[in-house]
Amino acid sequence: MSKYTEDDLREELKTKEYEYGFYTEIESETFAKGLNEDVVRAISKKKNEPEWMTEWRLEAFRVWSQMEEPEWANVTYKKPEFQEIAYYSAPKKKPKLNSLDEVDPDLLETFKKLGISIDEQKKLANVAVDIVMDSVSVATTFKKTLAEKGIIFMPISEAIQEHPELVRKYIGSVVPTSDNFYAALNSAVFSDGSFCYIPKGVSCPMELSTYFRINEGGTGQFERTLVVADKGSYVSYLEGCTAPQRDENQLHAAVVELIALDDAEIKYSTVQNWFPGDESGKGGVYNFVTKRGLCENNAKISWTQVETGSAITWKYPSCVLKGNNSVGEFYSIAVTNNHQQADTGTKMIHLGKNTKSTIISKGISAGKSQNSYRGLVQINSRAENARNFSQCDSLLMGNECGAHTFPYIEAKNKSAQIEHEATTSKIGEDQLFYCNQRGIDTEKAIALIVNGFSKEVLNKLPMEFAVEAQKLLEISLEGSVG
Amino acid sequence: MLKIENLKAEIEGKSILKGLNLQVNAGEIHAIMGPNGAGKSTMANVIAGKEEYEVTEGTIELNGEDISELAPEERAHNGVFLSFQYPVEIPGVSVTNFIKTAINESRKAQGLEEMPAKDMLKKIREKSELLEIDRKFLGRSLNEGFSGGEKKRNEIFQMAMLEPKLAILDETDSGLDIDALRIVANGVNKLKSKDNAVIVITHYQRLLDYIIPDFVHVLHDGKIVKTGDASLAHELEAKGYDWIKQELV
Amino acid sequence: MELKDKLLSSYVAFENRVDTNTDVHEIRSEALENFEELGFPTRKLEAWKYTSLNSVLKQDYSLFPDRVEAIELADVKKYFIHEIDAYKVVFINGKYSSFLSQTTHEHYDVCLMSSALTNAKYKPVIDKYFNKVAKQDNLTSLNTAFATEGAYINIPKNTEVKKPIQILNFTTGSEAASMIQPRNLIIVGENSQVQIIERHQSLTSNAVLTNVVTEIFADKASNVDYYKIQNDEITASLVDNSYIEQQSNSVVSVHTFSFGGNITRNNLNFYQKGEHIDSILKGITIIEGKQHVDHHTLVHHIEPNCESHQDYKGIYDERSTGVFNGKVIVEKEAQKTNAYQQNNNVLVSDKATINAKPQLEIFADDVKCSHGCTIGQLDDDALFYMQQRGIPQKEGRALLMFAFANTVLESVKIPEVKQRITKLIAKKLNVKVGFDL
Repeated sequence: MSKYTEDDLREELKTKEYEYGFYTEIESETFAKGLNEDVVRAISKKKNEPEWMTEWRLEAFRVWSQMEEPEWANVTYKKPEFQEIAYYSAPKKKPKLNSLDEVDPDLLETFKKLGISIDEQKKLANVAVDIVMDSVSVATTFKKTLAEKGIIFMPISEAIQEHPELVRKYIGSVVPTSDNFYAALNSAVFSDGSFCYIPKGVSCPMELSTYFRINEGGTGQFERTLVVADKGSYVSYLEGCTAPQRDENQLHAAVVELIALDDAEIKYSTVQNWFPGDESGKGGVYNFVTKRGLCENNAKISWTQVETGSAITWKYPSCVLKGNNSVGEFYSIAVTNNHQQADTGTKMIHLGKNTKSTIISKGISAGKSQNSYRGLVQINSRAENARNFSQCDSLLMGNECGAHTFPYIEAKNKSAQIEHEATTSKIGEDQLFYCNQRGIDTEKAIALIVNGFSKEVLNKLPMEFAVEAQKLLEISLEGSVG
Repeated sequence: MLKIENLKAEIEGKSILKGLNLQVNAGEIHAIMGPNGAGKSTMANVIAGKEEYEVTEGTIELNGEDISELAPEERAHNGVFLSFQYPVEIPGVSVTNFIKTAINESRKAQGLEEMPAKDMLKKIREKSELLEIDRKFLGRSLNEGFSGGEKKRNEIFQMAMLEPKLAILDETDSGLDIDALRIVANGVNKLKSKDNAVIVITHYQRLLDYIIPDFVHVLHDGKIVKTGDASLAHELEAKGYDWIKQELV
Repeated sequence: MELKDKLLSSYVAFENRVDTNTDVHEIRSEALENFEELGFPTRKLEAWKYTSLNSVLKQDYSLFPDRVEAIELADVKKYFIHEIDAYKVVFINGKYSSFLSQTTHEHYDVCLMSSALTNAKYKPVIDKYFNKVAKQDNLTSLNTAFATEGAYINIPKNTEVKKPIQILNFTTGSEAASMIQPRNLIIVGENSQVQIIERHQSLTSNAVLTNVVTEIFADKASNVDYYKIQNDEITASLVDNSYIEQQSNSVVSVHTFSFGGNITRNNLNFYQKGEHIDSILKGITIIEGKQHVDHHTLVHHIEPNCESHQDYKGIYDERSTGVFNGKVIVEKEAQKTNAYQQNNNVLVSDKATINAKPQLEIFADDVKCSHGCTIGQLDDDALFYMQQRGIPQKEGRALLMFAFANTVLESVKIPEVKQRITKLIAKKLNVKVGFDL
């Protein structure tokens, strides 16, 4: 009788190849490596930025120079040599495109391999895609449709030119340049990213989507995203990432700022599948991201993320619930395999009255990976009737990985109601046998059980994203553990 | 259909089956009865291929092929279905999703395409009506929070969906009230044909009022010690098992 | 002079005065060096993020309160669980009080650390156990450097200690603020049983700082039932460092009742060095004013098939602050671990704060670990229900809070302790209720 042993599992994990390990050769222009004030000025100049933006970057650089890289996360890695990174890379050809036909065929091929053909998306999902390929947008679609509603959705570099008053007002308002080491670095050198503004009372008719890819060897990626939902508006924003295989570690330090004004709602979904490194732990993306949203009165921000990639993930999408009756949500699935390390979670800062937050975190660890949940729920003294519910579940596969939970709960108001639950489990032998008996092999059975385990979060993703996410879950534990 | 010869099996070094012989032909219903600890559930699990049990001797043939080296899912693909005495819970996986996966995996093993969604839906509707299962029930997580009766009904529903050649019902009557028992038995009878076979494992003759067996076997201490027709079950109900033990002495 | 400097500069004089075997002398010197390097903990340390000792360290403490003060039994009787016959190891200002104590060497040793540290007869035991399970952190090192006195309990195997042992530390400090550092060593042999009650009590309105270290070794199949009653004066602060090493099949349970004091910090650490061990950590905290209670627990699951159960309840009124930092580590080898942790809190006042950090670090896959943490209020519906049946709101609240804390009391095995705690809770909640148990 064949028995699926730990050894088989380990063996199969080893043979798992990075699915999206390919590299598109597009001619790029890359700055010399290293960082100083001149490089910051050069980046700003290259982008024709106004004076205030250059100054803002320089200020961030000065702050960053005084800071030290944080060490509190439950991850170990060789720190990046910040002077060994090239801080700017743009495709040399920067065509102005009106339709997808004009997009570089190599690029389209890349997207095809990813199974996210733009054509298909246009047809099926009505998604406007702002493609970011190594830091500079090369195609923007559906701009016109959005413009009719007064929605601005464009690369942030263009927004700085076209809507300086909006960018200037909101950039750095939720994540100040001095917030943390990586945010400061990003503020100084960010290459591009997306800007989105939804006017008062407008409900964005389609999911806005950006696919980030890291493409040029040795190029750090510093994306900057700013989403502003004006009073009473609604937007659902999708961010998806895959990166080609690389031996060299690649640094990614993005900043995402969300601002939901009174009665507005922002739903921000991420599927992250960057190169996690090979089975020996070599290579892979360092993902040090600062994501934070601010809620004014009656506003709601909902973060949903499915993280299967990156060698190191350091990420805490947070909500500052400043307005009364505002709502923050965090739904997360984090899968780690091989030598991946993830230290991720959220912060819910309750400042306003009747604020509510929900945290559902599902961690799945396999191989030799370490998966940590780190979260903060803070109820300030004036936050009357604040509510929080947190649930952190971990699933361990094999006996060489670790699952860790570090929740911080700080309450200063007696009317607060906080519930935190955490469980750790493995896939039961009896569950596997039951599935086997019904003709489902062990690998498929594990996929099924993992999907069931993650269901509460998968359900929160927009439909077209959920399918991809489910596929990713299976791929990243494939051959192994489902 | 099923031919078991001199089957010996143990768990953690403890011998449970001690030379079991059983032949089941297509179109037949066999009942296995016996006191607690006789090895009834072990027999079911060994046929299904549960790994904790070690087969030390003997053969299990299904349609002339020895299946004792096959993985549980391969046996399932060959048409073995075990209705569990204690069906497990799988949180977050709906009954529909589970059965869809199970059917398509079996089809895949047979080199068939996935069943079209339309046919799947039709089949689910048909079989759930047969077992008087509510549509809402199908959307719930597999066995999670199910009552004893719901779990058993769900097992027979899956049996109806998978259309096995050999169905083994392990104590399917336990935990059922009289209405559920009737529904379950009715379902089993409707699924019965000249091409498949059923083994009913039970303590009591109650279920056998509804599912009439062609043969009744008494399992005692890892062996079949007595075989008769349906009337044997009545005799056991009336007299208990002691007289058989005494006969053996 | 800063307290740290004062401690360091008094060390030589202290060492000259105490007469100990050389090995202990070496342990002390090392510990002092360690403390010199580490200093007092600050909030920069993750483990002290929510508790600041600054205000406590500012006091000008008398380090070795010399005067032997006489205390009348009648004055302190209330601090004993006097309803039961018990062994008593009593200290006044860190000095043994033979008058108030009842020790024994018959069948087992219930006596003094000072004699264990100096008497050659005990040297093998001291060599084997002293400062062995204690972590070499700042405050434990400080205690080790100055360790002279405390309770020494050594129970040989297959022995049931028939009556509970009470360890009491009184501080009179009539003239100045005083700092004391008791050191307890408890060794429980294979298949033996003991019950211990520990209390620190200030008899003065001057500031008192107690930095106590207790090491407990529970051998195979032993059973240790330990109660810490913390209901001190508002000017008294306590840092309690307890380290428990358990061998196979042992059961150790520690109940901590924190009702009084200024700043109370409990570092309760369990190390499971065998299989089928059960570690039980329970606590009730009811505080008000500006009181601060910090429970820092660690259960280190090292071997397979062990269990741990943690249940901490807290009720915080006025400007008080509660901290619960519970850490469970499950090592790779510790398969089939069952670790359960529960922390429930009620904030009674808008000025009160609770900081909770229930952590899990898990490296084994076949384990059941769960933690739950809640912060909330009393059930309004239940309160209304009681009011409707004629129970005044105040009493109703008390009853609800009592019920809230009750799950912890259920596991108290000494009826007199349970009764005493019940009375303390009723008093704390400021109501007269007939909760006679």
